[in-house]
Amino acid sequence: MKSPGLLLALPTALIVLLLGFVPLIVILVWSFWTWDPATYWIRPEFSLAGYAAILEAGRWSVIVGSLGKAFLTAAICVVIGYPAAMAVHFLASRRTALLLMALFTIPFFTSYMIRAFSWRLVLGRNGLINGWLMDLGIVDQPLDWLLFSNFAVNVGLVASYLPFVIFPLILSMQRVEPSLLAASQDLGASFWRTFRSVLLPLTQAGIFAGFLFVFVMAAGSATEVQMLGGAAASMISVMINDVMRVVNFPLAFAISTVVLIILFGLIFIGNRLFKLTRLFEGFTW
Amino acid sequence: MAIAIGIDNVTRTFGTVKALERVGIKIGAGEFFTLLGSSGSGKSTLLKLIGGFDRPTTGRVLFDGQDVTDMPANRRPSNTVFQDLALFPHMTVGENVAYGLKVKGVAASERKKRVDSTLALVDLAGFAERNVNVLSGGQRQRVALARALVMEPGILLLDEPLTGLDERLRQQMRDEFGRLHQRTGSTFVLVTHNQDEALSLSDRMAIMHKGRIEQVGRPADFFANPANDFVARFVGMERVLKPERLERSGGDTVAIIAGERLVLPGARDVGEMGLLAVRPDRISLANGHAAPGSSLRATVAGRQFRGRFFDFYLELGDGQKLDAEIPVEFADAWPEPGNPVRLEFAGGALVPVPASGTAPNRDT
Repeated sequence: MKSPGLLLALPTALIVLLLGFVPLIVILVWSFWTWDPATYWIRPEFSLAGYAAILEAGRWSVIVGSLGKAFLTAAICVVIGYPAAMAVHFLASRRTALLLMALFTIPFFTSYMIRAFSWRLVLGRNGLINGWLMDLGIVDQPLDWLLFSNFAVNVGLVASYLPFVIFPLILSMQRVEPSLLAASQDLGASFWRTFRSVLLPLTQAGIFAGFLFVFVMAAGSATEVQMLGGAAASMISVMINDVMRVVNFPLAFAISTVVLIILFGLIFIGNRLFKLTRLFEGFTW
Repeated sequence: MAIAIGIDNVTRTFGTVKALERVGIKIGAGEFFTLLGSSGSGKSTLLKLIGGFDRPTTGRVLFDGQDVTDMPANRRPSNTVFQDLALFPHMTVGENVAYGLKVKGVAASERKKRVDSTLALVDLAGFAERNVNVLSGGQRQRVALARALVMEPGILLLDEPLTGLDERLRQQMRDEFGRLHQRTGSTFVLVTHNQDEALSLSDRMAIMHKGRIEQVGRPADFFANPANDFVARFVGMERVLKPERLERSGGDTVAIIAGERLVLPGARDVGEMGLLAVRPDRISLANGHAAPGSSLRATVAGRQFRGRFFDFYLELGDGQKLDAEIPVEFADAWPEPGNPVRLEFAGGALVPVPASGTAPNRDT
């Protein structure tokens, strides 16, 4: 072998290939096989039945609905996470910044089941919020739509994935030289003008990276919908779970393939538009 | 319109550190004023206060006599060329230069006219569409200058703008600053640690040290009348001798040094305990008929070739060291290292200076 670098990279490359690429190929290939309802097993015969079944039984609308929920969650996370990241990066001292980041992370030490469940205690008919609202006399009857609704699902998703948008944002803000903001101010720009014309454009890679992290994870989430959503609420992963009860690999993999293509497309477009890879150049943490 | 700057008894503390201590300076409208000092001297802190990026702990900043201490940077009639230039990487050269005008709400046609003429002023005509990230160091420097100058600022602040450029570019941009100062008539305030820059550009300059002003004046004053030995060293008189004492005789000062008497004709009176800053270019080999009281005995300790001259390292009878710059053509007459020599001191070769710390902060 000519270069030792290639040799050194080989184990890593093998692991990536084995753990990442091979399963994807399996998913892709099996999604075109035939499922035999008689034996509950698959045969290596080409078939588009899996893809056709996506259009049945409202599965397509679950996919669209899931992506919609994921989009909304990611958007809300960016809107909440941006000021939070600014507070950590611009306002806080080094110590407070560490403390704040720890606070963002600590909820992740508990099980995601417990985290989702705890929202029931907050949003339920006899929960914290309804209690306050009634005590303050704002409502007479407890609000029903707080729990087991799309609202509750979105609250749960935002709360779960907010840190994933904050960290890339902080990372991207660290790459903005403070003198650029000073220069903007020096040239007469107000805080908002500087924010809009300098900070936002220079952190768009972080915004997109954070958005994407949250979007991908929210699109693949199941717990929040199961614990907080209404009876009819479904999510892609819940649907795949249902399909796998009858071991219908082709349909499950067809759904996965469609979702994967959408996600990869999103990453590809994002990288083109926002130079996502640049965010991780000179990573210094 | 050029604006005069007043720094009125300004102190700036960071925790227990005094970055600036009771600093007072008046900078005239249209002046090219330089703050010269090493890192940590407070010169950049002072520039930030003028630009409005920081506030003094006590004291006031005045523009044309008006108190602007509480005015934020975006409302001050000053513009800054930052040390790292701070060009917006997501904008073209033209967009960078137009930014301030756009913020101000100048119409697009007028904006384009002013951007183009300012780019022409800094020799970057036709560069408006270029990507700022791929320009050379000197070109980036010019963009930063144009971005500030297009605002027609009453005050232009230059924060070590030549750091990081190679020597040739440095020279070139230095000339550029002088030319632009003439052209715009604005008040220029330059912060630098480079004495050459300060000496060649400034109308007046201030030497700062540990948050205090050591001396303010015209560049030539610093050589003729350094306020103390720190200033003398800072402007290039590296060696400062400590005589046994200084005496006055008529209009002259007489130094008793290493057991000999040396007359310094016309030198100022700095008191008996003053020091003597050495100008190495005014020392030569004494020939047989030197005037009495104009030469000292010394030993040659070593020499080094410096291109146009030799540096001779010398030691006086009492062990104090000094240097002499001897033009190459005269160096052959000098004895080899280890041998005694008699040094002749031309007028102004030894400049009397008060010792550090005895000079009060003052404004001229």
